Amino acid sequence: MNNRLKVLRAERNWSQQDLAERLGVSRQSVNAIETGRYDPSLPLAFTIAEVFGLPIEAIFSRD
Amino acid sequence: MLTVDDTAKPAGRGPWFWAGLYLASAAIIVALRLTDAITGTVALILFVGAMGLLIPLVRAGERQNCASPVMARYNRRVLAASMGYVLGLGIAIATWNAHELSGPAAFAIALLPTVPTFAMIWAMGRYLIEETDEYQRYRTVRAAIISLGMVLAIGIFWGFLEMFRLVPHVWAWWVLPVWAVGLGLAQMWMKVRGE
Repeated sequence: MNNRLKVLRAERNWSQQDLAERLGVSRQSVNAIETGRYDPSLPLAFTIAEVFGLPIEAIFSRD
Repeated sequence: MLTVDDTAKPAGRGPWFWAGLYLASAAIIVALRLTDAITGTVALILFVGAMGLLIPLVRAGERQNCASPVMARYNRRVLAASMGYVLGLGIAIATWNAHELSGPAAFAIALLPTVPTFAMIWAMGRYLIEETDEYQRYRTVRAAIISLGMVLAIGIFWGFLEMFRLVPHVWAWWVLPVWAVGLGLAQMWMKVRGE
């Protein structure tokens, strides 16, 4: 899976820690998702979409 | 007038200090026991005392936010179970050496070190249930499965080596400490690979 987490975060001037706090996960989790080492579950993907105010497919895409 | 400024208080020693002190104490006790400088009972008492160093270790980790609240609870549970294990094992061995036990009495002393190990397994189960960070849970489950694979591989290999009398018999309780070591190794391996 590809994702635009880093770009979306940069647009909002959020650090990984800021995003982690908004999602209720650890900074390591945000880093792992952002670098493509971990694909989030569907519930977490929905939460990420809600935090950014975007549909899931605007954040995540297939390889 | 004397005033106390909380912010000026030293933060206390870090977790590595207590971990180092504990490992050094354990190494000294093992060395003293192996050289017959102390008896088994004295070694046990000293070891239980040394385990007291794990309390400030866990607290120092919590103070420095090394662990999430869920991980902190897990550490406290495993620490309590480990102390129970050392104490239970010590009492069981001392009782076994002092009396000729069999049947229900032998069963009862076998339970002394066993019950705390069940508590360790329960603590791991509770951690997996309570952990809200799915990535951390995934990492722990992955490490647990890698370690389980290691235990199965070693166990089956050792079993056949033992069957053909190439290696000595080993009591089956080795599975838990080897699995715990494997868990640590798997987590280190994942860290090295950048997972």
